[in-house]
Formats: sequence, structure tokens, C-alpha cells
Amino acid sequence: METVGTHVANSGDTELKSSDRDHVSHLSLDIGGSLIKMVYFSSGSSSSSEDDDDDDDDEKHNYLKDGINTSNHDGSRGKLHFLKFETSKISECINFISSKHLQHYGDQDDKDLASDENIVKATGGGAFKFADLFKEKLGIVLDKVDEMSCLVAGANFLLKAVNHEAFTYTDGQKDYVKINHKDLYPYLLVNVGSGVSMIKVDGDNDYERVSGTSVGGGTFWGLGRLLTKCQSFDELLELSRQGNNRVIDMLVGDIYGGMDYSKIGLTSTAIASSFGKAISEKKELDDYRPEDVARSLLRMISNNIGQIAYLNALRFGLKRIFFGGFFIRGHAYTMDTISVAVNFWSKGEAKALFLRHEGFLGALGAFMNYEKNGFTDITHQFMEQSCEKSNLTP
Amino acid sequence: MDSLGERENHQELNIGINGNLNIDKLVADGKSKLNLDTGKDRGSTVLGKEEKDMAPMAGNSIHRSSSRPQLDLSGAAIQGNFEEKDPTILLPNQSDDISHLALDIGGSLIKLVYFSRHENQPVNDRSRRIIKARLGITNFNRRSFPILGGRLHFVKFETAKINECLDFIYSKQLHRGGMDSRSWQIEGPNTENTVIKATGGGAYKFADLFKERLGISIEKEDEMNCLVSGANFLLKAIRHEAFTHMEGRKEFVQLDSNDLFPYLLVNIGSGVSIIKVDGDGVFERVSGTNVGGGTYWGLGKLLTKCKSFDELLELSQRGDNRTIDMLVGDIYGGMDYSKIGLSASTIASSFGKTISENKEIEDYRPEDISLSLLRMISYNIGQASLISYLNALRFGLKRIFFGGFFIRGHAYTMDTISFAVHFWSNGQAQAMFLRHEGFLGALGAFLSYEKHGLDDLLVHQFVERFPMGAPYIGGNVHGPPLGDLNEKISWMEKFVLKGTEITAPVPMLPPGTTGLGGFEVPSSRGDSLRPDASKLNVGVLHLVPSLEVFPLLADPKTYEPNTIDLSDPGELEYWFTVLSDHMPDLVDKAVASEGGTDDAKRRGDAFARAFSAHLARLMEEPAAYGKLGLANLLELREECLREFHFHDAYRSIKQRENEASLAVLQDLLMELDSMNEESRLLTLIEGVLAANIFDWGSRACVDLYHKGTIIEIYRMSRDKMQRPWRVDDFDIFKERMLGSAEKKPHKYNRALLFVDNSGADIVLGMLPLARELLRRGTEVVLVANSLPALNDVTAMELPEIVAEAAKHCDILRAAAEAGGLLVDAMINVQDCPRERSSSVPLMVVENGCGSPCIDLRQVSSELAVAAKDADLVVLEGMGRSLHTNFNAKFKCDALKLAMVKNQRLAAKLINGNIYDCVCRFEAADNSN
Repeated sequence: METVGTHVANSGDTELKSSDRDHVSHLSLDIGGSLIKMVYFSSGSSSSSEDDDDDDDDEKHNYLKDGINTSNHDGSRGKLHFLKFETSKISECINFISSKHLQHYGDQDDKDLASDENIVKATGGGAFKFADLFKEKLGIVLDKVDEMSCLVAGANFLLKAVNHEAFTYTDGQKDYVKINHKDLYPYLLVNVGSGVSMIKVDGDNDYERVSGTSVGGGTFWGLGRLLTKCQSFDELLELSRQGNNRVIDMLVGDIYGGMDYSKIGLTSTAIASSFGKAISEKKELDDYRPEDVARSLLRMISNNIGQIAYLNALRFGLKRIFFGGFFIRGHAYTMDTISVAVNFWSKGEAKALFLRHEGFLGALGAFMNYEKNGFTDITHQFMEQSCEKSNLTP
Repeated sequence: MDSLGERENHQELNIGINGNLNIDKLVADGKSKLNLDTGKDRGSTVLGKEEKDMAPMAGNSIHRSSSRPQLDLSGAAIQGNFEEKDPTILLPNQSDDISHLALDIGGSLIKLVYFSRHENQPVNDRSRRIIKARLGITNFNRRSFPILGGRLHFVKFETAKINECLDFIYSKQLHRGGMDSRSWQIEGPNTENTVIKATGGGAYKFADLFKERLGISIEKEDEMNCLVSGANFLLKAIRHEAFTHMEGRKEFVQLDSNDLFPYLLVNIGSGVSIIKVDGDGVFERVSGTNVGGGTYWGLGKLLTKCKSFDELLELSQRGDNRTIDMLVGDIYGGMDYSKIGLSASTIASSFGKTISENKEIEDYRPEDISLSLLRMISYNIGQASLISYLNALRFGLKRIFFGGFFIRGHAYTMDTISFAVHFWSNGQAQAMFLRHEGFLGALGAFLSYEKHGLDDLLVHQFVERFPMGAPYIGGNVHGPPLGDLNEKISWMEKFVLKGTEITAPVPMLPPGTTGLGGFEVPSSRGDSLRPDASKLNVGVLHLVPSLEVFPLLADPKTYEPNTIDLSDPGELEYWFTVLSDHMPDLVDKAVASEGGTDDAKRRGDAFARAFSAHLARLMEEPAAYGKLGLANLLELREECLREFHFHDAYRSIKQRENEASLAVLQDLLMELDSMNEESRLLTLIEGVLAANIFDWGSRACVDLYHKGTIIEIYRMSRDKMQRPWRVDDFDIFKERMLGSAEKKPHKYNRALLFVDNSGADIVLGMLPLARELLRRGTEVVLVANSLPALNDVTAMELPEIVAEAAKHCDILRAAAEAGGLLVDAMINVQDCPRERSSSVPLMVVENGCGSPCIDLRQVSSELAVAAKDADLVVLEGMGRSLHTNFNAKFKCDALKLAMVKNQRLAAKLINGNIYDCVCRFEAADNSN
């Protein structure tokens, strides 16, 4: 799920055995400031053909998709699909729903009560903002679900139900972490969307938003767009891969004439001031390579998020910090920077953990919110499959 | 007061106008190695005359002290024109080991702290020596102060213009220990030994440059060390150094220096360091972030093409971040996300809105970009700091201070940081800022000299003064030092012409923004101000080691001299109007006192401009000079007069009134002596109150003067006094003095009489009261101003007045003799003063002030000594008993006497009217 238009499922597929197929609900949305995240369920019988369709759609639309395979008790398989669209291109999302007739797969139990209304669970600010639009275009009534509770529910679901969901990332090395369900709480959930929310999670529905910052994915993309003229978030990320932040960042060595400031534990290559070197040079924006700018920006924001997250974890004595949200996108350098920040400030005592389904916590949480989704008691009903084992489509 | 007396000897002001004043004097001598920055339009107007006046401070800066590096005075000679007022003294043999200078060379600014010393003028006045003998002061400059009085100066340069800094140092000869002398050759024998302490990254980068240009070696001091010791010094030594800033409003905070540690220091330079400080030299960098001032400037430069940090900051003032930032309302369709406490105008994602729009950089206003950036970074710093603070709370942390060049007194920056701290701590923590924020490092480097002697200085030994030009330039240096008074006047004339737009606040469009880094727009008063209006000015710190806290204050910690709180905008405006209205009259008096010459007129004009500029600045930002009380304003006016060499504007008026009053004193004393004890005491108090009407500081009273002679007004005024007065504790005082059926009379041992005006006030009011006390066996110490202020009588003038009065009165004569005030009449009194006199003495001491008010936290050491055995304090006059000290509590009995000559004050303070009287008697406060 790294680049637009390519059908990649790097988070793997998860088989699901659901107790009662009839009660599985099919569509939920997380409409954020930058991206719309969608989760829908398709039954195993039709999944194969649908996925073929998806591939065609992917080439036409700017959405990304991913999937978790599920199967119910009687062995028939189903699949959870994960897609995202840019919020600014919401019409593409609506067209997609319409083309797949997903609007009819909301909370079907309510059909008897509200005859021609389809109710779809949705979260994120856009659930409020675009409610009328969905009603008008698709006849869907968005049932708004609180954003934080969705994030937490989504994360709890993933951490409990999906094996190998969480991993650490150090020096390019991914290490999956086995989480003991009984020893999951409390933890700090850092959701890096357009902005950043930091939530202390103490139990299934027991959480508190303890901190947050407006310097998040939206800042990276927004500033990056202005600075590099990139057309998409992913393009910007890709650029940063090839950049060298030393060109723009003021390093400790720049200030101390190449020396470390070892007294306070700063090496000469530590960043003293992000973008600080731009001060003293007579260069204009065009004189800098976009790659270097993107790199500095990414480091600044990742580092900052990592640091504030660690400080909050320290404050509440939390052992684990999970990072989610679309900003991360499994991007190696982002995860590396966040990991380094947490490691540096905690003097090695804390570790940053990432989630494979990082971007879909909210949408998944909204999905969980259907009263009879059949996943309520998930931990006993999921059957894990190794992510390496299964591929994109059954 | 010694420290105040010779201010004109040294220039603390260094300014230029648009290149008109520029640096070419050094080129002239041809020996300079300096690579001078020859400005584009350098004028040729100036600096010939500066040659001879360049070194004004030298005259008084010589002193020997055992614990300081000493000056070698051998061969000292006055240099140049002997007619000059404060000639430079040449010290050919002075070695170079005195370092008065320290630097903090940062990435954008060079901060320079330097110290200029002056010696306490020798007290030659014979009568004063006798008083000191009498009071048991054996050595005036006694005790444990190894350091002399002097001044700490704070100046800033842009690092990009480092040549200006080098020129400045050279022109003031700071690298030679500040003893600048024209005749010194820069190639002098010892220059290579000079070592200057410096910190900041540039201390490494520019070390060679300093060596090459000035021949000085830079000794690098650790940056964190310097920050911490600078902050510790400021927080301990400067009263009201710290302040909070919420919604555009500054509140100064009085810290208890015994209860300071541990605290968190957040220094926002290019990057941010978060330091936990546990004590002097004990600290730990607990956190930091690379998103700091450098990020703001660097990113801002790339995005807006601004040429300087200040330009970028200024842009932000007019910005609207809603066009750039994604607000909660943008996501939620205008609604709040109230469940987690986010309002619609909270920034959800900085720069997030630029994602969804198809605009390029050029399509956004640089103003908006700058503001978004500023909020993003300020907010982030506030948050990171706050969390560090919360973490450190476990270690008993008390406060969180923010400093560093990024802040620059910028209102929105401070508001954003304050808000972040407030918001994330649920109001539990408050961000504090420091007035000298930018100078922490430089000050720390200065303090790292082993023998600076500043370690033991206490808060009451510092007096901060704001010289002419401060309203315009703060601590920034533009151009070369000004050499003499004439240049100051010229500068004032030119600058005011060019700078009128600065004197009068420029109205600007309200920024009209709503989401300030996650909070509603601060109801900042700054809308109509120029961008840097909220910046605080940094004055010159005068070190006066002889100042002490008045020992009789009941509780010095809670003592607040000012009665009127000028943070109330209404009060502020009123008193500004009063001072402005009074100005023409004052200028007339001042000019007349100097003979009314053209030169005096020119000085008078310059004074008026300079003082008006101060007032305009303070109207604009009342906190610009620190915590502002009426006493500070009145003192500022006197300082400003002295700066333009008006040493005693009311000299002739005072003299005339003294003579007129002395002429009728005999009659008055006879009248008093004919009364019984009780009516005499009442008449005496009435007399003090009546005589207090003679006050040139009061507009109403100036008008009165045209209507009669002194004695007429005095008698009329006294006869009109109808008890009860508005505040009338006379009966309690009387009972204390004379006793009653139940109580015996109380005999005071020593009374301190804080006197006010010359003329009738002292002669017909306070002297007769002093005489009554003497008669009852009480020692009397007349406490008068060290320096002239309006028509207040000074300690220098009093002996003469007393001597004249003594001619008509045996009691006064005997007491004055005993107190050593009549030296001319006694040959050997100084050898054996105590044996000679059987009478209780009448003495005079100076109070250490040059203001119509008195701050009892900073009084002269001789007053402090005299207070030791005193058991009665009498404060007389509006300035000392109403404007200040009305609410002061003392360890001994106190009597406050004044006639209120201002309607507003009367209404406000005592719910009365103009000419109402205050006779407030308070028995000793022994609660503390």
C-alpha cells in the first residue's frame, strides 16, 4: 500500500472465522482531514471476482486497498478490505461505493425499521462534514462514531486478534512482537494522521487522550508540497528517501566546528536545529534539492512525534508506544526516525512499536461498532494465518 | 547618592540614524586593523568631536580593591583638554588583566555584556563625616563588598554584522578592560594576553577573527553552564525579572530567591534545550528539540523569502493562519470536537490545509505562512517543555522559564507557548519568561570570570535605568557609541524627526485570526501596535553595593512601594497625562535654572523629547521597562533631566523659598512656645500638613503660588485645617507622645524624619516638629534625598538650612552641634563629638534616592545604619507617604503625614477631596 494505483497488501491477510455470517456488516468509513479510510467485508464466494474488479479500479482511481481474509465457522471465507481515498477527491470514494453497491451493505438489520435508508458507521471529522453529501449521492445515513473510541477499538482489535500486527523497526530491521493479551494494557497509542493524537489506553473501552500535536502528517505533506511542488504524499515520501538532511539541517557539528557537544550527549551529527542551516546560507528555496528538503522535513516531524510520544509515555509510566495513522505508511525512514527518537530520549528503555494496519485503526474501530458485527468476541474466533503464507487474493 | 551623581560620565547609549552616524572614526587614526564596514550612505557629519570625548567613563572608574584585579594607577595623567568636565585619564601602566566583557555569539545574534565601574565619590564633606562618626559608621565602603559600584550593559548585534560588534568593542576599548584611552595603541605591548570569555557556537567559529582584529583570545565557556548561571543570577538578583504572558498581558512575578530551585529552563535558540536546574552549577539537560528558532527562520526564509528573523516575525503579526492550517472545524464541518476539548478553531494539522488546495507557495500570503509556522513551532516547544516539566514534577520542580533568542518578547510567541503549557497542564502550570531572555548566555559567560565579585550581590543592590533612546532601540546597537551630551542632543533631535512614526504607535490592521496554535485568539491589546511593541527593553543595570533594605520594614518580602497600580490602564493614562501636562512648566524651570541660554534651551527640548518618548513607549507597552509603578515614572523623569545635565531645575526656587521661610521661622517658634504641650503638638502636626502644600510637583499648588506669600499661604492653610482630617490618627499619636490618664508618655529614642519639599515644608513644618522631638529627648535624623528631585530638599542642602534655623533657636543649635551639622562653629568636633555635646543630636542622612518617592528596599547604607536604633519613622509628603509606602508596615511606630494635592489620588486613596489631609499613625508591627 505504498504507491497510488498499485494493489499491494504488505500488511498481509488475516483469515477470520466469524460465528454468524448473516450478522456481518459490510462497510465503515473513517473520513479524516486528508484521507478517507474505508473498511468493507465481502463474502468469500465473491471475493475473487471482486478483486479482479478492484485491480481495474485501482488503475483508474486514487485509492489503495488491502485486505484481511476471514472465514466463518462453516468454512466459507470472507475478506475485510481496506481502502483509502484522498478526502479532497471524495467523489472518487462515492463513485467507488456506488460502483460496488456497498451502500446497501450497511447495517442491514435496520432495513426493516428505516425502509429505504442505509446506515453506515463512520468516524473522523468528515463524518460530520460530508454527512449531507453521502445522503444526497448515495442515500446513506452516516452513523457517527466517536473518533477516539474508534481508534482505540481498532487498535485493541488488531493487537488482540491479529498475530504479528505489531513490530519494532530498527536499522531497517522489522521484528514482530508477540503481545500477550493479558499484558496489553496500559499502552500509549499515537495516531499520526493529519494531526497527532496521543491516547493512553487502559482497557477495552477505557482510554484518555492525554496529548497531541498539530505537527503531523498534514504538516509533512502540506509543508512538503509548498517546498517541493510534489503532487502527492507518496511522491514526497519517495523523494525523502533519496535526500540528505545535512544540507539543510543545522547539526551540532555545524555549531561546534565539527566537534561533538559530548558533555550533554550530543554527537556532531545530531540535528541541533531543523532547517537551521537555511538561515546562514544565501540560498533560496530553488537552490535546494527537493529530496533534501523532503528528508529534513520528514526527520523533523518524525523525530518530534517520537519525542513527544516518549515524554508522554514517561509521564504515565507506559511501557509500550504504538504508532499508527496514515502518516507512517510503513515508510522505513519515518519509522526509523521515530524509533531512534524514542530510543534516544528513553536512553534505550522504551521502544517504538508500529502496526501493520496503521492507517485503518479508525475505520476498523467504526466497523467494530456495528452491534452485531460478529467480531465482538473476536479473540476467540479469529484464526490467524501467517502473513507470509497467504498472498493477496485467495 | 554616589552612583547617581556622575551618570553623565559614561555613555551607555550607542545609536545611529540610518547611516548618518557611522563608523569612520577608527579609520581616521589609520592604525586600526579593523576592517570597517563602510555603510552605503555613511554620512560625514559626525565624529570629529567624538575624538576627545570618547572616553568619558574613565574619570571615575578607578579604584583599588584587594579582591579584584587592580588598576595600575602609576603615571596616571589627565589627557587632553583640562577644561573638559570629565576628562579622560590616561593610565599608561595599566595591565590588561581586567576583563569587563563577555560575549555570547549565537547563530543569529551576538549578545554582549560589559561592565563599567565607577568609584563611590569620596565623601569629603566634613559634616557628613561627623555624622558618620556619630552613627558609628567607621568605614563607609566597609563590609564585605569587594566590588565597586558600576554598570552592567547589555547590547546586541546581528552576527552577520560582526564587524559592528568588533568596532564597538574597539571604540569602547572593552578588550582593554574598558579603560578606553585614545592614546592607547592597539598594538600595545600586552594585548595578546587579553582573554575574553565567550560562549555560543560562534565563540569557536569567530575565535580567529577576534584574535586578528582585536588581538584578544576567546576563552570558550560551556554553553549550558552559561545559560544556567545567567538565569540563576537574573532570577536572584533582579527583582521582577520573570513574568507570565497570557492573552497579551504581562504580569511580573516576584520570586523568592531562597525558594527558586529546582526549576526547568527552556532555552530556545536555533534548537531548544530543556534543562532542569537544581542549584548554582547543578543542572541536567533533560530534553530538547531540534524544532526551534532556527527552524522557524530557516523554513520561513525558504517559504517567504524574508531577509531577517525580525522581518519574518513582523510578517506573522499580520498573518491569518486559517488559510494554511487545517483546523478542527475544517475537519468537522465547522463544529467543535468538544468531547476531547477541541474547539473548531483548534489547529488540527499545521500546514494541513495546503494539502487539499491546488495552490503553490506563491498563492499564499507570506504573512499567513509566517504565522502558521510561528504557531506550529511555539506550540510545539511549549508542549514538549510542558511534558518535560510534568515529568520533572516528580523531582519537586516549581517553575518553568523560557528564554532564548527565538522569543524576543514577541507577544504571539509568548502567548502561544503560554497557552500550550496552560492547555496541556489543565491550568496547573504557567510558563514564565525572562526580561533579559536573550542575555542568559552572555551574562553567564561574564559571571564565569573568577573575580567578578558579583556572586554575593543582592537584589537591592541593583538599580535598572533606561537611558535616553531606550524607547527606540532597546538593547540593540545601531552605529557607534555616542560621545558626549551634544551628540546625544543631536541624536534626539534627528531621531525624533525621523522617528515620529515610532513615537506614535502605528495603527495596523487587526490580524483577525481565530486559531492560535490550538486556542482562541488572545484578546491581545497588540492589535494597534507596531510589531515589536511587546518587546521589553533592557536597561543598564547599575550596581550600587551600598544600597540596603531599610531595616525597619516589617516584611521586606511582601513590601511593595507603589500604592497606585499602573497596570490599570485608566490609572496609567491619567498619570501619563499629568506628567505630560506638567512638562512645559518643568522644562521652563529647568532651562531657567541653567541660565536660560540657547544651550540650555536646546537641552530642554531634547529632554522633553526624550521623556515624551519614554512616556509614549510606556503607554504602548507598560511592561516595557519591567514592573511599572508611579514611583518608577517619577524617577524616570528625574533621571532623564539629569541625563541632559539639568542637575537641579528648582535650585533658585528652593533657595528663595528657604530664605523666605527662614525669615518667619522665629515668629513661628515663639508662637509655638507660648502654647501648652497639647495644643503645641496639634499645631505642629497642623503645621507639617499645612506646609506640605508647598509643592512644585503639584499643579494645583503651583497655581496657588501666584496668590500670596509663603507665610500667608502657610497661615491660611493651617487655619483652615478642620479636624477631623480625612485620615486622623492624631489622638492616638498624641496619647503615645503625651500620655493619658491610663498611659505614661512614651519617649522615643530616635526618630527618622523623611522630609519632602524645600521652603516652608521643611522650615516651617518639619524642623519645628524635629525641635519638639529633640526637646523631649529624642534623637532626630532628618532623611533627605541624595539627589535633587523637583523642589525636594536634599541631604546636601539641609545642614545649611539647619544652621540658619539654629541661629534663632537654642534647642536646634545644641542638637545640630551635637549632630555635627554646625561644623564651622566647632573646631574639634570631629575628634570627640560625643564628649562635646550633652544635647541629643539632630542629624542628616541621605536616603539613597533621587526621586520624589522612595522605595524602601533600596536605601543608602547610612540610612540603614541610622535606622538601627530608631523607634519612630515619620514619612512626610505625597511622594513618600502616599504614592509610595501608604501601605508599608514598619517594625517601629510610624507616622505618615501628607496633604493630598491631587483630586484623583484623594478620591482613590482616602475617598476624599483635594487638600484633604492624612495623619496616619501605626504602632509597631511586630507580627513578623
